[in-house]
Amino acid sequence: MEKIIDYIEDSLAGIPDDGTLYRYKRKILNEMDERADEITHAGLKDEQVLADLLCDEYGDLKAGFRKFAEEERLKKRARSRRKAILIGTPLYVLLLTAIYLGVSFLIGHWAQTWLIMVGGIFLLILFLSGIGVKKLCGMRRLFHPIARILVAIDVMLVAVFVFLFCLMLFDPPHIWVVIIAGVIALLIADAIFAAVTHQKLAIINYLLYVPAGAALLYVILGGVHAVPWSPGWMIVLLGVLADILIVVGVMINNSRYIYKQEVEDVWNEG
Amino acid sequence: MERRLNAELWDKMHYLFRDFNDRMVHVELRYDYEIDLEVLKTVLICFFEKAPVLHSSFVDNHISTHWSVQDYRIEDVLTVAHPKPEELDSVVDEFLMQYIPPDAPLQMKVAVFYCEGKSVLCLVENHMCMDGGDLKYFMKALCQNYSDYAEKKISPIKLRQGSRSFEQVYSDFSQTEQRMARNLYKNVCAKDTHKFPLTPDSIRDRSFIVRRKIGVEMFDKIRSAGKKHGATINDMLVAAYFYSLYELAGYPESDSVTISCAIDLRRHIKDVSDEGLTNHTAFMQCSIPERGRDIFETLKYVVRSSNRYKKDKFMGLYGLPLLKMAYGILPHTASEEIIKIGYSNPLIAMSNIGILEADKLALCGHQPYDGYMTGAVKYKPYVLLSATSLNRVLTLAMCVRGNDKDRAIVERFFDLLEQNIQELTRGE
Repeated sequence: MEKIIDYIEDSLAGIPDDGTLYRYKRKILNEMDERADEITHAGLKDEQVLADLLCDEYGDLKAGFRKFAEEERLKKRARSRRKAILIGTPLYVLLLTAIYLGVSFLIGHWAQTWLIMVGGIFLLILFLSGIGVKKLCGMRRLFHPIARILVAIDVMLVAVFVFLFCLMLFDPPHIWVVIIAGVIALLIADAIFAAVTHQKLAIINYLLYVPAGAALLYVILGGVHAVPWSPGWMIVLLGVLADILIVVGVMINNSRYIYKQEVEDVWNEG
Repeated sequence: MERRLNAELWDKMHYLFRDFNDRMVHVELRYDYEIDLEVLKTVLICFFEKAPVLHSSFVDNHISTHWSVQDYRIEDVLTVAHPKPEELDSVVDEFLMQYIPPDAPLQMKVAVFYCEGKSVLCLVENHMCMDGGDLKYFMKALCQNYSDYAEKKISPIKLRQGSRSFEQVYSDFSQTEQRMARNLYKNVCAKDTHKFPLTPDSIRDRSFIVRRKIGVEMFDKIRSAGKKHGATINDMLVAAYFYSLYELAGYPESDSVTISCAIDLRRHIKDVSDEGLTNHTAFMQCSIPERGRDIFETLKYVVRSSNRYKKDKFMGLYGLPLLKMAYGILPHTASEEIIKIGYSNPLIAMSNIGILEADKLALCGHQPYDGYMTGAVKYKPYVLLSATSLNRVLTLAMCVRGNDKDRAIVERFFDLLEQNIQELTRGE
């Protein structure tokens, strides 16, 4: 054990200690101690070999310490963030309520001022969901679908708020198009997510989303009479055409990386 | 807390081969020297700690797979016995023919048999952990570390550690080459239906090894005759294998036959010193269009077929991206079913494990006077011929699960093989 302690001390000599170094040394010593028990239980009797084996296993303690210190820093930051959210959320809701009541009492437009409350709550949900998405993206791919669902909810929340805002304040005709536009935005956001996170077979998403988006665009443009329903359906056709172009583009790009064996099949040589 | 290791692509593939073979790789080394058990135990413990996959059990929960590291005692790894001289061979064979299930806590078993001042060192390991190439390295490292520890008290911790991923084969390619190699979605599998003429399956079948030694004189003749015909030792052996098969199984002379030859994918990695112990083996299909008028024509066909592969920059890398995709996007059970549809296990195969360097396998200066390595016990109708050489003595071995008739068939095959090798080397 003394050899291991000496090894830890020697390897980490010269690093200033603000408490983190001690915690790291203690952690490593405990781990090495546990490993020593395991290996001794396996039947190793030579203490010198045991010490050498453990020192070899924990080869670069300085790099390990840097990683540990960084993890500690991130943990500390995450703890402060959690604390801020725990305290900040009720404070934010109280402040929001106060603003809502204040503005409502001041101007007296109760029929519209509830938007402040809804908008504020939506903003809070977007903020919390953003933290969730960031965390999930750093986890295994298995968890990425949850992040994608959160992104979709965020996009639709924004669309719903824009819809309510326009409805309450301006009440324009064809306001329903905002919700359909929200669905298009959702598809775009998901496609971007797939691209940024290098999702496997993301091309399938693009191929599905392009014609779906085109169909929704057709409904919007047809609904607001920007284009006639016929031949407006050509937009859907254009979506399918874009799909074909994407496929051709990908195939051309991939063809540059197709390996053609230089050697001919010997049995076909004649 | 449970320590987990990633189950790599080849681990899963060898797990899938459970229907075709017992996945055990075998080594036997005979020394004119009594192995020091305490030293060997120390070396083995250090190696097991450096390669934790050797004391892990394979977990298949149908969705995904992994290795779970297990506690062990060296007494469970190492068997020691003092058989009588007349019993030695049967005791060694009995040990070598054992089967280690993938969910067992240990994936390698070692034995030392002492007999008349000599020792036989035997080792059996699960192919899912490493292939013949790395086992050869493992044996050399074991012997080197044993000697250093026994003679100089140097701690036996010199064993390679690192990634076990199959993707390491791409690591030394340029970016364009990597992309090309990762696009090789070709399904490479043996389509030949010619079988080794063994008897039908029976529940009475037992695993056995049949081996044949080709002496120093013949080994040198093979080498010089090969040079004359522009063939490697491997080509010479494959040609004799083909010719013997036609004779043994009675295939029509005009039939095209294929033998799958194991190739080491480490040829694509410049420096393996930071790679973990793993599998990097693929198969190349060595085909001949017909038997040929004589064995020399068969050899010509073999050389043409193997040269075709040797000129290929991505030799052996075909199909890996397809397997990666299958294992990557589907739950494990589903991916196995999909792979089974496209994969056909070669009926006739050969693995030239190569030279076992006696000087590097020496224990405290005592070189092994005899020994060999061989691949898994194949289940009928599949067969694998393993070839290794030690002290310029070639050992051909075939592990079969069969009956006495099968043993006689394999012995007959070796007789033919020997005759055909003699024919190939006539005039040397």
